[in-house]
Amino acid sequence: MLEVKGLVAGYAGSEVLHGIDLVVNDGEGVIVLGPNGHGKTTLLRAITGLLPPRAGQVLLDGKEITRLRPDVIAASGVVHIPQGDLLFPDMTVTENLLMGAYHRPTWAERRERLDRVYELFPWLKQRGAQLTRTLSGGERRMLALGRGLMAKARILLIDEPSLGLAPLTTEQIYASIHKVKESGIALLLADENANHVAGLADRVYLLETGSLVRQGPADTLLKDQALLESYLG
Amino acid sequence: MTLLVQAVWGGILFGAVYGLMALGLTLVWGAVRFLNLAHGAIFTVGAYAAYWVTSSLSLPIYLALPFGVLVAAAFSYLMHLGFIRPVLGKPGFDNSTLMATVGISIAVSAAAILIFNPEYKVVPAVIPGYTVVSGVQITYQGLLVIAISLALFFLVYLFLTYTRQGMAIRAVSQQQEAASLMSIPVERTYGMVIAISGALAGLAGVLLSPFFFLNPNSGFNPMIQALIITVFGGLGSIRGALVAGFVLGIFNSFVEVFYGVAWAEPGVFVLIILMLILRPSGLFGIGEVRRL
Repeated sequence: MLEVKGLVAGYAGSEVLHGIDLVVNDGEGVIVLGPNGHGKTTLLRAITGLLPPRAGQVLLDGKEITRLRPDVIAASGVVHIPQGDLLFPDMTVTENLLMGAYHRPTWAERRERLDRVYELFPWLKQRGAQLTRTLSGGERRMLALGRGLMAKARILLIDEPSLGLAPLTTEQIYASIHKVKESGIALLLADENANHVAGLADRVYLLETGSLVRQGPADTLLKDQALLESYLG
Repeated sequence: MTLLVQAVWGGILFGAVYGLMALGLTLVWGAVRFLNLAHGAIFTVGAYAAYWVTSSLSLPIYLALPFGVLVAAAFSYLMHLGFIRPVLGKPGFDNSTLMATVGISIAVSAAAILIFNPEYKVVPAVIPGYTVVSGVQITYQGLLVIAISLALFFLVYLFLTYTRQGMAIRAVSQQQEAASLMSIPVERTYGMVIAISGALAGLAGVLLSPFFFLNPNSGFNPMIQALIITVFGGLGSIRGALVAGFVLGIFNSFVEVFYGVAWAEPGVFVLIILMLILRPSGLFGIGEVRRL
């Protein structure tokens, strides 16, 4: 479904990604593992148009979406939950969620979607009227995830779901992502911890200094402790 | 008693009139983060458009009013396309938008002189006539302006709080990148805010010109007053613009009535300086932290 071919991207003066080839199939859980600073965030940003790539292609169902505007890419079902959550701080929890469903044309549809997300995360409903800037880190991550689900996502790109969270909260977040995957939405997860993603991953890519150096089915790759240690330290 | 009524009436009218200008200015600052120094020029464009309809086409003012508002909104949107959108997110955004909007202001007053000549024009009141309350003339147009101004503050508040597009404006102003990831078209949303702000300035232009007469620089003073109100109320705050408009208006009016016109402006500036010492980001300032 989502296909990345020879993707090159970077910031002024420095190239971060040197030709990435990657595929995510319908409903599949794909994990990009790599240490900090090796280009995981850049990869996701380049796919969703926040950082227009310098070369290469991003295809959705064989149609090119490279260099489209981020809002157009998002509307086509490629939903990015960015690093740092990027919530709307002066909006309530409910308002944040509703913004996630911006491209749905009617309030009825947006409300219906809201109910579905509340079902998945009942916690969000209790906090509906609370201003987002007052939430804790774990609550913010949960809301970011919920907001991403408000869109009609076909594939969810999640940037380091556990970043900065306490172990207990981390577990809850991954449990939630599990529910998301079970509902049939494909996942492209960027992570630096192989332990967290074990149950979610169908296939794994290893990213090192801007290139994908290894790929394989999760069952074999994630069990290869020696390999993982040499890459992730 | 007459003096008191005069001061209160003058203050409320001032607050409503300039509050309406301040509303558009603060909206653009809150959402797009640029200071629109062409806001006064857009006021002038709306007023001249209405004047043209009433004088050249001899149509009644209630038809000229919506025309003036539309022309001002369209002008504002063209300004966005030509001068704001190309520099969005680029380094030097602040400087280039300031320069561009000052340039537009100069061009508008020059164009008004060329097209209409520099003489003062009369734009008719939507509702002519007045009533007298304890010896003070209360114009019907004044009452209309107060009602419209209050209604628009309320409508803009409802729009931003409860509608999809209004919420999108807040989202874009609070976290632009996330807004685009929520499939909100950022540039188009900015364009919408700027057009709405232009419509408000144009409306102010048509409604206020009966009080002041119309000339090529008509919009300048209202814009300065609106800037003062916006700074006092807190840049980017809508509630601030409303409250500050009335606080400053009534203060200004009382000083004028009881101490003489000469003290009104210095008085207002002393109040503002005190305010900025006590609360640097204004009455309800959203400063750098809070957004629309």
